[in-house]
Amino acid sequence: METRRIIENVRKSGRTFLTEVESKELLAVRGIPVVSCRVARDEEETVRMAHECGFPVVLKVNSPYIIHKSEHKGVFLNLGGEQSVREAFRSIRRNCAAVDPEASVTVQPMIKKGVEVLIGVIADRQFGPVVAFGLGGVFTEVLKDVVFRMAPVSTEEAEKMVYQIRGNRLLRGYRGYPAVDTLSLQKIITGISQLAVEVEDIEEMDLNPVVVFPRGAMVLDARIKLC
Amino acid sequence: MTEDDIEVMQKIFNPGSVAVIGATASSDRIGYNLLDSLIYGGYKGKIYPVHPKLKEILGLPVYPSTLDIPERVDLALIALNQRDTVDVLEHCGKLGIKGAVIVAGGFRETGDEGRALEKRLVEITKEYGLKVVGPNTLGIMNLEAGLNATFYPVSLKKGNVSLISQSGGIGFSIIQKCSDEGVGLNKFVGVGNRTVLEISDCLEFLAGDSGTKVIGVFLEGVENARRLVQVAGKVAHRKPVVIYKVGQSNEINEATLTHTGSMAGPYKLFRDIFNQYGVLLAGSVPELVASCKALSLCRLPAGGGLGLFTYTAGPTIVALDRLAGRKISIPGLAPGTVRRIKAILGENLPVVLKNPIDTGGLGTRPGTYGLLVDAALADPNFDLLVTFCCPHKNWPNPTRELIAAHQKSHKPVLTCYISTVKGVEEDREALQQAGIPLYCSPDEAAWGAAALIHYSRRGGALHGNA
Repeated sequence: METRRIIENVRKSGRTFLTEVESKELLAVRGIPVVSCRVARDEEETVRMAHECGFPVVLKVNSPYIIHKSEHKGVFLNLGGEQSVREAFRSIRRNCAAVDPEASVTVQPMIKKGVEVLIGVIADRQFGPVVAFGLGGVFTEVLKDVVFRMAPVSTEEAEKMVYQIRGNRLLRGYRGYPAVDTLSLQKIITGISQLAVEVEDIEEMDLNPVVVFPRGAMVLDARIKLC
Repeated sequence: MTEDDIEVMQKIFNPGSVAVIGATASSDRIGYNLLDSLIYGGYKGKIYPVHPKLKEILGLPVYPSTLDIPERVDLALIALNQRDTVDVLEHCGKLGIKGAVIVAGGFRETGDEGRALEKRLVEITKEYGLKVVGPNTLGIMNLEAGLNATFYPVSLKKGNVSLISQSGGIGFSIIQKCSDEGVGLNKFVGVGNRTVLEISDCLEFLAGDSGTKVIGVFLEGVENARRLVQVAGKVAHRKPVVIYKVGQSNEINEATLTHTGSMAGPYKLFRDIFNQYGVLLAGSVPELVASCKALSLCRLPAGGGLGLFTYTAGPTIVALDRLAGRKISIPGLAPGTVRRIKAILGENLPVVLKNPIDTGGLGTRPGTYGLLVDAALADPNFDLLVTFCCPHKNWPNPTRELIAAHQKSHKPVLTCYISTVKGVEEDREALQQAGIPLYCSPDEAAWGAAALIHYSRRGGALHGNA
């Protein structure tokens, strides 16, 4: 029900792309752990939220017109205090003014380092909903280390996916880095696959990066496209 | 597919009578060759050539139209142009004929007019409950019924491997390779445009077909891959399915906006998803045939421990290369096996005993080969064995020794004789009769072993399918 409501709202505003806020709301409804993300409309509100959130924080542009936030220089990480938050807010406004002069921002806590992975969905013309898992963040495009399964994906298949990627050693612990919580990744994979089967109008979905720790995993950024 | 559909397909492959519509007297035409194939293939049922003017072709009386055939045939082979084909199909439907093979091209692949014709074809089949193979196909075969309903008159060995091909040319390439390899065929379907009968339908039919033990598929691409993989996965629980899919170039869809979308090369998707459903994939015609051959002749091994036995190292290295990345276990030798081999060859061996077992020059001596294979087969770490040898003018081939060793063991044995296909014809016949596939290259022997291990892992009903 909640899922449908979120999607209908997007449809009503004539869009097929969910903003990060909407995408994360939808994921949270399905019990998938996401990094909280609050919308601030002006500089003062941004600063107030940053204090409430606790430093360091992340600021990202929030606009229905901007899909790739980094490409518009709309993402500022690891902001340690009020002054840097103010500067980042103004930069985002300036950088994105050409596309959306009324763009707001989201304020999110800066999450500690972990292994970055990607979990995604595509509605394939031939196979229907397909789930992807691979190395995330900056490695996604360079290494293209991704595996696919047709949804729905069972728990056993989700486990196989996690260990099938070439870079699976990054997950099992290496050179003093601890092994990460692959079980929580499997839960996200099966949850997403269920979502893809139930909600037929999802065309593409990217949870990237998902950061996984020795205990737990979190979706840092997400985008969802409807058919 | 409903039970009725299966029944219609059974009739298509086991027809009591066949009409060849568009039969001609000129050997360069399809219609003549369909008729010739039926006769040359040894079809025992009644054949009715149909042509408006001719009286006799290839010694058979000709009927001026389908309406003049004195009985309701089980199968109509239609060798007319696409427009006449559709008209004749309607006549067939009215006469109560349930099965047809349509050879003509010129349907949806040619544009609007062809699409409209194909649409009408579908309507006719729905109205009369007709099942059609094609259009745009080489045809079908059922060696069990002596039925060659293609326009290629050939003589083939009967066996338990059935083939589904989306291409006539590659279908033939697979058939010819099977002949070279001594692989007996059961049924062949050239699915053509798949307008009525889809690849999934053929898989479902062959799954329940008692003459088919193994199914090989050549695949270009289908619209509903979801159904195909689900059906193939289900069938592969009952009998082995091996698929060779073309289109391995990983061209990506630049139009997609997410990372997930842009990384989904079509072959990568296909490979991961068919693996998800446990279907064995082959990367070439030789690999497809090598896999089908092992699955056709051998029982499935109890586990995945692969032993290799040779007197020349190179072929085993090539075989191991072919197995790389397939998670196949090459276990070491049990201490008892080392003792047993030393008892045969002597304590001071010029080679180190491990797996692959390489006996060097000592292994070529007549009499010892069989004892060594016995020892290898008795190793508790091995579930199946591949042996290698290089046939020689002055050294006898170890054929009899292999057969004797295999008879004493319940484990599958595959063998590689480095030779030409012709050079080992007699050995192949004898070995394969005894359930030992003979390959002429280490690559193919490795593919055969990999196929057995793949399906042994799936367990269940497959192990009873000997």
